Amino acid sequence: MERPDAELLALQREVEARARDAGLDPPEVEYRVVDHRELNAIAAYGGFPVRYAHWRFGMEYDRLIKGHAWGLQRIYELVINTRPVLAWLLRDNAPVEQKLVMAHVCGHADFFRANAWFAHTDPHMLETMAAHAARLRELAAAHGQDALESFIDRVHSLDNLVDAGALRRARGRPGNAPPLDGPLAPGDVLGHVLRDAPLADWQREVVALLRDEACYFLPQALTKVMNEGWASFWHSRLMTGSLLRDAEVVDYACQHSGAMGGSDGPMNPYKLGLELFRHVHARAGGDSGGGLRAVFDARAVHDDLTFVDAFLDLDFARAHGLGADEAACAAARESLLAGLTNAGQPVIRRLPSEPRELELEHVWSGAELQLDQAEETLRHLHALWQGPVRLHTRLDGRALLLSAGPAGVTRELGEALAEPGPPPGA
Amino acid sequence: MDVPDGAAGRIERDRARFAAIVRGHIKQDLRRYVTGSELIGRKGRQMVSIPVPRVELPRFRFGRNGRGQGQGQGERAADEGQPAEGQGAGAAGSQPGQHLLEVELSLEEMARILGEELELPDIQPRGRARVSAPARRFSSLRRSGPRGLRHMRRTFREALRRELAGGSYDPSRPGVVPAPGDLRYRSWKDVPRPEHAALILYMMDVSGSMGREQKEIVRLVSFWIDTWLRSQYRSLEMRYVVHDAVAREVDQDTFYRLRESGGTKISSAYALAAEIVERQFPAAEWNVYLFHFSDGDNWSGRDTERCMSVLRERLLPGANLFCYGQVKSAYGSGQFKKDVDSALSGDERVITAEILDREGILPAIRQFLGRGR
Repeated sequence: MERPDAELLALQREVEARARDAGLDPPEVEYRVVDHRELNAIAAYGGFPVRYAHWRFGMEYDRLIKGHAWGLQRIYELVINTRPVLAWLLRDNAPVEQKLVMAHVCGHADFFRANAWFAHTDPHMLETMAAHAARLRELAAAHGQDALESFIDRVHSLDNLVDAGALRRARGRPGNAPPLDGPLAPGDVLGHVLRDAPLADWQREVVALLRDEACYFLPQALTKVMNEGWASFWHSRLMTGSLLRDAEVVDYACQHSGAMGGSDGPMNPYKLGLELFRHVHARAGGDSGGGLRAVFDARAVHDDLTFVDAFLDLDFARAHGLGADEAACAAARESLLAGLTNAGQPVIRRLPSEPRELELEHVWSGAELQLDQAEETLRHLHALWQGPVRLHTRLDGRALLLSAGPAGVTRELGEALAEPGPPPGA
Repeated sequence: MDVPDGAAGRIERDRARFAAIVRGHIKQDLRRYVTGSELIGRKGRQMVSIPVPRVELPRFRFGRNGRGQGQGQGERAADEGQPAEGQGAGAAGSQPGQHLLEVELSLEEMARILGEELELPDIQPRGRARVSAPARRFSSLRRSGPRGLRHMRRTFREALRRELAGGSYDPSRPGVVPAPGDLRYRSWKDVPRPEHAALILYMMDVSGSMGREQKEIVRLVSFWIDTWLRSQYRSLEMRYVVHDAVAREVDQDTFYRLRESGGTKISSAYALAAEIVERQFPAAEWNVYLFHFSDGDNWSGRDTERCMSVLRERLLPGANLFCYGQVKSAYGSGQFKKDVDSALSGDERVITAEILDREGILPAIRQFLGRGR
C-alpha cells in the first residue's frame, strides 16, 4: 500500500477541481494505491483493512479472488465513508481508468456528505473498527478463540435485525447505533437483546460492537442504487464534459459500458441509479432549466426505496423497456420496491411482551421467510436470549408461529389469513 | 490514523480458518462425495477440487420454501462498502440460487478424511524397504542462521563454557550473557530415508454384461483405493488389466472406457496379472495389491478352478491383499464370489465384497482396506 505519486496527485487535483466547478462538494479524499490481491482483501473486510478477524471475511475473500481469477468480476475501486474519505486505486490501472475512478469516487464522497442517511455515521470509523478489532482480540485471549468465534457467528446471523428508521433520528452523541437508554425501536431486535437478555459482560460487549458496525453499514445498503447512480452520473458527466483527452475516449467508453451493461437488465444498480438521475435531470429541464437543482435535491433526501417510488414513472418505464402502460409500469415499480424495502431484508419487529419474553413479528410484505434458515436463526436468538422466543410469520397463506425453546424450534400453523399468500406470479 | 498495511496477509488467516470449517463439512458429507461421480475429473496431480454448499450463516431472509413461489428477492450480495464491480456480469444480485463453493483439497488430506471416517488402520508394509529420496532432519547445529532457529540451550552452554574458560564466571552470580560468537542455530542434515513401494494391480471384467453403471462404481471404488494407498506409500505403481475371454494390459484411461462384448474367462486375467507381478514386481521389494472387479459370471466351472489355482500358487504368495469386488449387474449370476469365498475362506489376504449399488461403495472400501495390510 502506498500513497499516490505526483502524477496521480495531479490527476486528483484536476478531477476534484472539475467536480467542484460542477457543484459537487466532496469532503477530503485520500487515496492509497494497492495491487488487486490487497484490494480484494480490503473489500472482503467491508473496506476496512483493520477489521477484526473472522472466517466470514475469509470466505468473502475466497469468493472475490476466484471471481477475479475466472474473469467474472473485477473491483476497480473501493471507497469508505470516513473523514477523510478513504479510497483505493489499483496499481496497474491505466491513467484513464484512474481518472474515471477518481471522478466516480468524487460522486460517492459527495453522497456520503450530503445524503441524509449518512448524517450520523461515525466519521472516524477506521479508528473505531481498529478499536473493535483490538478489543475482540483481547476477548479472544480472555475467553478463548473458539468461544468468541461461535458467539460472533451467532451475532452475525442476527446482524440484519437493526431498525433503519431509528438511524435517522438525530442523537447528538458518537456511535452508529441508537443509544440504549432511550426508547428502542421495535425493529432494533439487537438493541433489545442488548438491553434485556441476560448476557455475560463480554458477550454484551461483542453484541454492542457488531450492532454498531451493522448500523454503520446499513445506510449504504439502503442507498446502493442511488449512491452508485450518483457516482456514475457524475463520472460520466465529468469525463465526457471536460476530463477526457481525445485519445482516451474509446477506453473510457469501454470501461463505462462494461460497468453499466451486463445481463442484469435494469436491476444492475449502477445502471438503474444512473438512468434515474438522468431522468430526474431531464424531467426538470436539463442543465438550462432546473435539472441540476433537482438531482442535487434528490441525492440529499432520498433512499433507494423513495427514489424509485418518486421517479420511476411511465416515461422512464417506456424508455427502458420496463412497461408500455401505467399498469405495467406500476408492476415493474412494485417489484423493484419489494426488493428495495428494508434493503431487501425482511422486517422483523418486537411486539410488546413481558421483559423476559421475546415476541417477534415478521411484518408481512408478500414474501415468505426461508423457513429452515429462520428456524436456525431463532435457535441462535434463543441461545442469546435464554428465554422463550417466538416469531409470527406466514406460510402458504396461513399464520405460522415459530417457537424456540430449550428443546428446539416448533412450528404451529394457524388459520388461513384473509389476504392471500404471496401474489401469484411474483 | 494512517492506514495500516498487511490486510492481504491477515485475510489469509481468515481464509485458512474458513477452509478448516469447510473441511469439517466435507467430512460430514463424505458419503455423498464417495458415491457421487463429481470428484473424479476434478482431480489434479496433487489437489482435488470439491464443490461444497456455501457455508452460510442462517439469517431471516426471504426464500421459497421449496414450492416455487414467493418473491425472488435476490440476496443482498454486497451489502457492505461500495465495491464497484466492473464488467457487468457477476455484479450484485446476479448470483444463481445454488451457492456452490469450489474448495481445493490435497489428495493427502482427502485420504486423511477418508481414513478417519472409515477408521482405516495404517498399513504395515512388508518387504524390504528401498532407500530413496533423502529426508531433511533438523538434527545439527550451525553458527549462523535465522533468528527463528536459535537453539537457546546450546547457545547458553557455549556462553557458559566461554565464561568458565575465561575465568569470568562467578558462581555467586550465575547469570550468563551470550556473546555473538556463542549463538548456535538449528540446522538440518539430509538423512536417507527408507521407503516402501507398492503396486496396485486392477483387473476388470469388460465383457458385455458389465454396463456403464457397473464400470462407474468400479471407477469410484478404485479412485478411493488409489487415494488411500497413495497416502500410505510414497512410491506407488499402477497396472491395469482388462479381460473378457482374453486378458490384456491397458493404460488407465482405456481401463475405464473400454467395453467389449465377448464372454468371460477370469483365469486369463489372473494369469496375466501373475506374469506382470513375477516379471516386474518381486515380492521382496514390493507390496502388491490386487483388485478384481466383475459381475460374478465366469465362463465355466472349469475356468473358475483354474482361477483358484493361479491365485493359490502364483498370486497370493507375493501379495499383501487380493480383493474381489462383485458389482451387481442385470446379467451376472454372482456365482464367482461364492466360489472364491468357499475356495479361499480363512485366508486373511483374501477379501471379497458385494457392491449392489453406489451405497455399497463405502462399505466395500472399508472391507478392502480395513485390515491394514
